[in-house]
Amino acid sequence: MDLMNNLALGFGVAFTVQNLFLCFIGCMIGTLVGVLPGVGPVATIAMLLPITFGLDPTGALIMLAGIYYGAQYGGSTTAILVNIPGEATSVVTTLDGHQMAKQGRAGAALGIAALGSFFAGCVATVFIAAMGKPLTKLAQLFGPAEYFSLMVMGLVFSTVLARGSIFKALLMVFLGLLLATVGTDLETGQERMTLGIQQLSDGVDFAPLAMGIFGFAEIIRNLESPEARDVVRGKIGKLMPSWAEIKQSTPPVLRGTFIGGLLGILPGNGAVLGPFASYTIEKKIAKDSSRFGKGAIEGVAGPEAANNAGAQTAFIPLLTLGIPPNAVMALMVGAMTIHGIIPGPQVMTKNPDLFWGMIASMWIGNAMLVIINLPLVGMWVKLLKVPYRLMFPAILIFCCIGIYSINNSVEDVYFTGFFALVGYVLIKLGFEPAPMLLGFVLGKLMEEKLRQALILSRGSFMTFVERPVSGVLLAIAVIMLVVALLPSINKKRDAVFQE
Amino acid sequence: MKKIVLAAAFAALAAAPALAQTYPTKPITMIVPFAAGGPTDIIARIVAEPMSRTLGQTVIIENVAGAGGTTGITRGAGAAADGYTLMMGHMGTHGAAPALYPNLKYNPATDFAPVGVAAGTPIIIVGKKDHPANNLKEFIDWAKKQGDKSNHAHAGVGSVSHSTGILLNSIIGTKPTFIPYTGTGPALNDMMSGQVDYMTDQIVNLVGQINAGTVKAFAIATPARSPALPNLPTTREAGLDGYEVSAWNAVFAPKGTPADVVAKLEAALNAAIDDAGAKKRLDDLGAVAPAGAERGSAALQKLVESEVARWTPVLKAAMAASK
Amino acid sequence: MTDTDTPAPERSSAGSYRLTEDIAAGLFLFFVSAFFIWKAWELPLGSLRAMGPGMLPMSISVILGVGGFLLALSAFVKGGNIITMPHVRGLFFILGGIVLFGLCIRSLGLVVAGPVSMIFASFATNEVRPTEAVIFACAMTAFCIILFKYALGLPIPVVAFI
Repeated sequence: MDLMNNLALGFGVAFTVQNLFLCFIGCMIGTLVGVLPGVGPVATIAMLLPITFGLDPTGALIMLAGIYYGAQYGGSTTAILVNIPGEATSVVTTLDGHQMAKQGRAGAALGIAALGSFFAGCVATVFIAAMGKPLTKLAQLFGPAEYFSLMVMGLVFSTVLARGSIFKALLMVFLGLLLATVGTDLETGQERMTLGIQQLSDGVDFAPLAMGIFGFAEIIRNLESPEARDVVRGKIGKLMPSWAEIKQSTPPVLRGTFIGGLLGILPGNGAVLGPFASYTIEKKIAKDSSRFGKGAIEGVAGPEAANNAGAQTAFIPLLTLGIPPNAVMALMVGAMTIHGIIPGPQVMTKNPDLFWGMIASMWIGNAMLVIINLPLVGMWVKLLKVPYRLMFPAILIFCCIGIYSINNSVEDVYFTGFFALVGYVLIKLGFEPAPMLLGFVLGKLMEEKLRQALILSRGSFMTFVERPVSGVLLAIAVIMLVVALLPSINKKRDAVFQE
Repeated sequence: MKKIVLAAAFAALAAAPALAQTYPTKPITMIVPFAAGGPTDIIARIVAEPMSRTLGQTVIIENVAGAGGTTGITRGAGAAADGYTLMMGHMGTHGAAPALYPNLKYNPATDFAPVGVAAGTPIIIVGKKDHPANNLKEFIDWAKKQGDKSNHAHAGVGSVSHSTGILLNSIIGTKPTFIPYTGTGPALNDMMSGQVDYMTDQIVNLVGQINAGTVKAFAIATPARSPALPNLPTTREAGLDGYEVSAWNAVFAPKGTPADVVAKLEAALNAAIDDAGAKKRLDDLGAVAPAGAERGSAALQKLVESEVARWTPVLKAAMAASK
Repeated sequence: MTDTDTPAPERSSAGSYRLTEDIAAGLFLFFVSAFFIWKAWELPLGSLRAMGPGMLPMSISVILGVGGFLLALSAFVKGGNIITMPHVRGLFFILGGIVLFGLCIRSLGLVVAGPVSMIFASFATNEVRPTEAVIFACAMTAFCIILFKYALGLPIPVVAFI
């Protein structure tokens, strides 16, 4: 069979001593930069590009890919332990993951995140190998109108992220959308609400916003109520999830893998929606949805699986279409061109050893990451025992350096401080930051796609309904909204099932 | 011009003899005003490596992205003029920017000590794969006839693809509907699925798709054909005069950098372009190294002046029309 | 966010003039919206069919403002949790630490920015032990220099003043 031959070729390439070593180095560096708030894979891969000049292209790309998915693993660690999402995709993990850490279940949260990610990574790798080519055809059905409808669907999800009032969560989504409009206008190049600050001309950056609103605001809140924080530190639970927890997490991981992997194929960075979608599904189908936001393990397992599956399938548009779906993939395009490989639909046929070698190395890399990460859980959990008076200055310096290094910009550091203040005010006022971040992330894409779609249709809104894929997505969004607004239906049904 | 540079170098040599002999004594920072991974960033990283070897100090790349590259250049222009801060400017930051950014805080022609052109990447005109036109001539006729019914994609206001696209439209005299994207990737994606009709962009972004036949190339806007795409005619061959553009990338130092330091950097840059390893990498990108007469400080100064003069009227007119 | 360990917040009855969380929250959004409307005022709106740069900022601001107003109104009618005093000490020293880092990093380098910002921020809690904070800050800075500058190779200024 073709697939088997190809995979054999791939494993032959990936299982050389050199490539195994490079894969391992990549995973290690990736885990490290993922854990460090702010630094992230983009800066790291950029720094390491010249070092790869001496390597052969396959080895170089295997290492760089390792950094990328290694950073996904590492990022969930920071999200769980200190409530700082390094990327949009780990926002969801903070919701229940950090709550679990606060309850002394950090070990279980980190363990299930690693295991869930590993499973998702394995499945996604096979998925890429078997279905990569046909699926790109599907992805090509997505034009601006389809993306817009997908984003609308995503916004409907956001209401489910709320732990408290849905109305206040909706208002936060709108605040996020509003923040996303800051910056240069897409069509005319006019500056919008930048207050004359040059750094705002490209809009508000995700990292300062997320780090300020989540990380720093959380620090100030912890300083405010030392009792809560010290009670937490007293109890450090088991280092691994229990068998019951693993059983409980299995269906969410399966669903998360599927949904995340599917969204990851979209060349327009669909992977960003994966964890949100997974969380929504888990919360909606849970018997007792009130556990979510208070340390429900499904709220970590599903989104983490979705995140990692999406991270892997995001290679599909890169490798089969030559279209990079996010900043890291754009950098991979750069890495490929530097090594004389032209990204595009021909990579698969012209450089089969690179294509299949990379896919095989992803599977190996995922296995390595579990081996690297599971023993680290014990160390991370011990870190929580560091007295808080030392912990928060350390978080502060890591965040400041990380933020600075993204754009080598002092202004970004100040923005982080400003958003820390905003985040603290929001907490004081009983708002939750997660829906706002979702609104912010989707807002940028949404306005872009809305306006592109309307220019293409010469101003006709019917384009969103007439195009079949777009129409279906909108219909799902409407149905979801109805379900969200009628929680009583759910409750009654559950009651019936229990009898 | 050479004499003046020599005289200036001599004067600076006399004023600060110690500097020339010892420079560089610490790592040099080169600001790349774009995110890592783009064409300018890649070219900067390719030349920085051999430059480091020649100079005996590491040339560190610092990405300072924002506002079409003007954020990074603004910072570089204000840095100490000691030769330890350089910038990789390009056609946008030192050619198109004065027209696009009314509040630009630097003057491309007077606020820098030019070091030299590093490499240029040719511009290609492409259309969707089932585009009715099969060559540039048919394309021009088609574009004129379609007018605003045609969809012209670009990678964002201020991008190379935007400026070169506007210039193309003004030369062939058509007013299409612009579809703005936030990068070449998404624009190409919609072109591959047939939503938009045509665009212009740098060869490095397009060559993979052209070879795979997912987009249709009409012409390359350089005086000579590219070895990466030997079958693609130049614009002049295909009958379009006056559309020869290249997204050149060039190294600048802040104004006031001692002439002997600039001379040392210029020599290191030229050695880097001729370095076998770097040359191969640039060739693979489809990038074109500057010929002898296009190299060095004086040539770059002339290039900047002519580019500002070329882009300003075209872009100003187009920007005014869009508002 | 629910904090089970903190004492239950004081509640206000309906129609009371005491500031509840939701009244303040509504007013906050109302002012944010007003600010954005003011800033978006000069941007051309365009039409629904051909949107201008101002269309989305303006319409979202209006929705947000109306929402904020409704939130405050319903809170005034229904009552709610009384807002608690902000933790001024934490705010001051944490934000101060961030600003100090920003002020020092380019001009002086991480060697100064690290300890200065960390020591200053340490005072955000009354549990601070000055000697320990100084030693810890210096050790962490050394660690960060090795990690970020040498292990990861980031172009971060270490000693900018020489």
